[in-house]
Amino acid sequence: MRGSRREKVASDVVRARVLLGLMLLAFGVLAVSLYNVQVSSTSKYETALDRQSMRRIRMPGMRGQILDRNGGVFADNRPSYNVAIFLEELRLVDIKISETLETLRPIVGYPASAGEEEVVDHVHKLKPLPLMAWRDLDEAALARFAEQCSMIPGADIQVEAVREYPQGALASHVIGYVGRSNMVHDVRRPFHYYADEMVGKSGIEKQFDGVLRGRAGGRLMQVDVEGFHREDIAVDPPEPGSDVQLAIDIKIQEYVEEELQDTVGSAVIVDPRNGDILAMASAPSFDPNMIVPYITTESWNSIIENPDHPLLNRAIQGSYTPGSIVKPIVALAGLENGKLDPEYIVHCPGHFMLGSQKFGCWLTYGHGDMDLSGAIQNSCNVYFFTAGLSMGREYIVHMSHAVGLGRRTGIGIGGERAGLVPDAAWKRERYGESWWDGDTCNLSIGQGPITVTPLQMALMTAAIANGGTLYRPRLVQGVRAPGGEMFQELPVTVENRLAWSQSSLDVIRKAMFKTVMSPRGTGRNAAVPGVEIAGKTGTAEFGPKALGKKRGWMIAFAPFDEPRYAVAMVLDHAATGGGADVGPRLRRIFGKIFQVEVSESAPGVGHG
Amino acid sequence: MVYYLKRMDWWLLAALLALVVLGVLFVYSASYRGEGIPVGTDYQKQILWAVLGIGVFLIVALIDYHWLGKCSWLLYAGALVLLVLVLVIGETRSGATRWISLPGFDIQPSELAKLGTLLALARFLSLTATDPRRLYVVALAGVISFVPFLLIFVEPDLGTAAVLVPLTACLLFVAGVPMRILCFLVVLGLLALPLGYQVLDDYQQDRIEVFLNPDSDPLRDGWTRRQSQIAVGSGGLTGKGYLSGTQNVLGFLPRSVAPNDFIYSVIAEETGFVGAALVLALYAAVLLCAFRAALVSRDKLGRFLSVGVATIIFSHVFVNIAMTIGLMPITGLPLPLVSYGGSFMVVTMCGLGIVQSVYVRRARA
Repeated sequence: MRGSRREKVASDVVRARVLLGLMLLAFGVLAVSLYNVQVSSTSKYETALDRQSMRRIRMPGMRGQILDRNGGVFADNRPSYNVAIFLEELRLVDIKISETLETLRPIVGYPASAGEEEVVDHVHKLKPLPLMAWRDLDEAALARFAEQCSMIPGADIQVEAVREYPQGALASHVIGYVGRSNMVHDVRRPFHYYADEMVGKSGIEKQFDGVLRGRAGGRLMQVDVEGFHREDIAVDPPEPGSDVQLAIDIKIQEYVEEELQDTVGSAVIVDPRNGDILAMASAPSFDPNMIVPYITTESWNSIIENPDHPLLNRAIQGSYTPGSIVKPIVALAGLENGKLDPEYIVHCPGHFMLGSQKFGCWLTYGHGDMDLSGAIQNSCNVYFFTAGLSMGREYIVHMSHAVGLGRRTGIGIGGERAGLVPDAAWKRERYGESWWDGDTCNLSIGQGPITVTPLQMALMTAAIANGGTLYRPRLVQGVRAPGGEMFQELPVTVENRLAWSQSSLDVIRKAMFKTVMSPRGTGRNAAVPGVEIAGKTGTAEFGPKALGKKRGWMIAFAPFDEPRYAVAMVLDHAATGGGADVGPRLRRIFGKIFQVEVSESAPGVGHG
Repeated sequence: MVYYLKRMDWWLLAALLALVVLGVLFVYSASYRGEGIPVGTDYQKQILWAVLGIGVFLIVALIDYHWLGKCSWLLYAGALVLLVLVLVIGETRSGATRWISLPGFDIQPSELAKLGTLLALARFLSLTATDPRRLYVVALAGVISFVPFLLIFVEPDLGTAAVLVPLTACLLFVAGVPMRILCFLVVLGLLALPLGYQVLDDYQQDRIEVFLNPDSDPLRDGWTRRQSQIAVGSGGLTGKGYLSGTQNVLGFLPRSVAPNDFIYSVIAEETGFVGAALVLALYAAVLLCAFRAALVSRDKLGRFLSVGVATIIFSHVFVNIAMTIGLMPITGLPLPLVSYGGSFMVVTMCGLGIVQSVYVRRARA
């Protein structure tokens, strides 16, 4: 009995020891598991932790400036003072956003620019970022707010750079404007949030967006489980963008725009020596400051509903029938191919009979006997019908292409039109009809389906002025890296070198000289005392004949011997024609450029 | 008194004091949300309970456990009355009726029932008339623990009820119930599991499913489990530093569970493997002390009481830590002495006081 009792006690002790051993073994298992989770797979859990509590936000760099050739500022950045509400601070003191907006309203003085919907949206999608309740405070509101904001938890001033265009509407079609970029919140993208970022929407702003924009930086921040911002972990400061210097001269641009103020049309001035665009204007224009940073619905509607389409850059997007301003090119085609003798005389009775079809000259009683020079000075259609038919359409089409017609110049800002030089193949495809001599007659005087842009005409004029070099237009002269002193100059590009003979050029240029300088030339209204200007006028009919709608054109270059300016100007609705409507405007422009007093009252008085 | 102090198990006292201090520190940390944000008052209550618990420990250690053994039926019956009472007048929070509200604090009768059941079982198994080799003895012991089990189960408080299972099993084992009967019981238990699963509430079934397939429910219990794992895992070897546990401070580890059921997650994140293993070592020390008391006990009652207390503590620690690191489903068992909460603190201290009492009154060497 005693023995069995002792055995039993012993078995108690053994079993208790076994139990302890099992329990310690279980703890050992826990310790190993703990080691596996904590030490062996730390990085895996750290990654998971970062993924759920780290947010990356993209911050745009400051956009570079857009300058004119002399450093005048076209596009700049100004500080905009916003009232920012920090949601995580509001939560700490348990105040609702709407309450804060109520408190702030009398201080700022007007309702928040962030509507109810924007607030809700912000809380849902952008919680760690401050809510911009009021944007762009005026000075009085800023002063009031600065005085009292320290009393209001969770609200502070944040400065934001806003694009500004100090020249207003000047060259607005060239400069363009910016708009909010629509960066999609895509899970695959490396950023969770995107700070307001402006992206070029048109003009240089769009074309040079990559240069102007700089390098975006980022901010890595920690959020809590509800998505509120907690602290910034790291900041990668953004870098500002480069400055862009245009070839445009603000002064010349102003002269040109003054002459287009009251009308619809366009003008381009090119430096014939290198293709620099000294001025490019389109009327009506718009003030980009109205669009940036926000455009009101009314302003937008007023732009959209304007029948003259202010957003259209007519200098490159307008398709105009050129009319007589292509005559120098038609003449060059004949001369260069030996199909036209400058001494050859054509009699103009005021009309031209092609079979039974009658083609009129603009001077209905006729110019009488005309040689080439006279035909250019007087813009005689009958002469060019004859010349065109005798040389055939091929040479005209070929020469037109050679001076850049029917093809984009490659200026680089968006929406450029190519224009059209009709030929037999085009006509067959478009109308299913074959080319006939009447088409050649129209082509010879720049009528019919042919269309050009004012920029093409300016470059063509520059080619005539400089002796046959067709440049690619250079709108941007150089780019300056942020903080840099010097502008990196962009190259001058020659599009085509035309091997025009000096004799042909002399004939044409002298005829164009007389067109402006002779008292009877069609371009006499453009003459400026003391300046030798050569040019050619044009009056192009368009639309149904019965309406008698006309475009007024004039191309010109000056000074005659060493041309520095080649200009093309078109008016969409000309009362009389190129000579009468455009001539005086060019005279005033040249007058200002050459700083010559111009008499408004005595048009057309030649020198001497 | 000097004699008493001389015979006291100072190691046990040291280990439990260390755990209680860690508990207060990390309850504070679990309520910490960042500079300038007021910390909740939970840690102050925890200090109060810790002091109260230590007092209970010392008083119970003074009481002769034989006297407790004599009162065991009364205490058992009292616990059962409270368990019935909680079902009648108890306060229902998030679907479970576990608390009786008293002015100033709530009590959780299921915690007291653990002790009551332990006392009753130890007393019953240590009776000279009890022959553990007889099947009816095993059956009677089963009934003693099954009644409170059922009452706790219907509250429902699955985790606490489940603790009674290892408690009973370990006591039967140490009491000398033949292995064949124990094996039979284990097989029976395993067979009953699927049936038991059917009885579980939806949320309990969900928790088990979440455990088996953690990505199935990322925003409910799967969320907590995942966040706890991330907290523990990202702690690394040495942790992120006191009050710097990102998961806890940023609220990814739900604030409702961080100071109590998931306090170990906070400790593991802030002190790393080193701290987490230290806490585990402190519990191992507590277990060693309890088993030493059991082995040197002058009688069976003392032995069974000590083993029972050790088993309760072990069950809680094992299940809680296993849950925290993602080895087990979420059961809602707190970590003894460390987790925020008063009832369990007092109950654990009481249990350890019994262990101390057994050790002090050990047979002379």
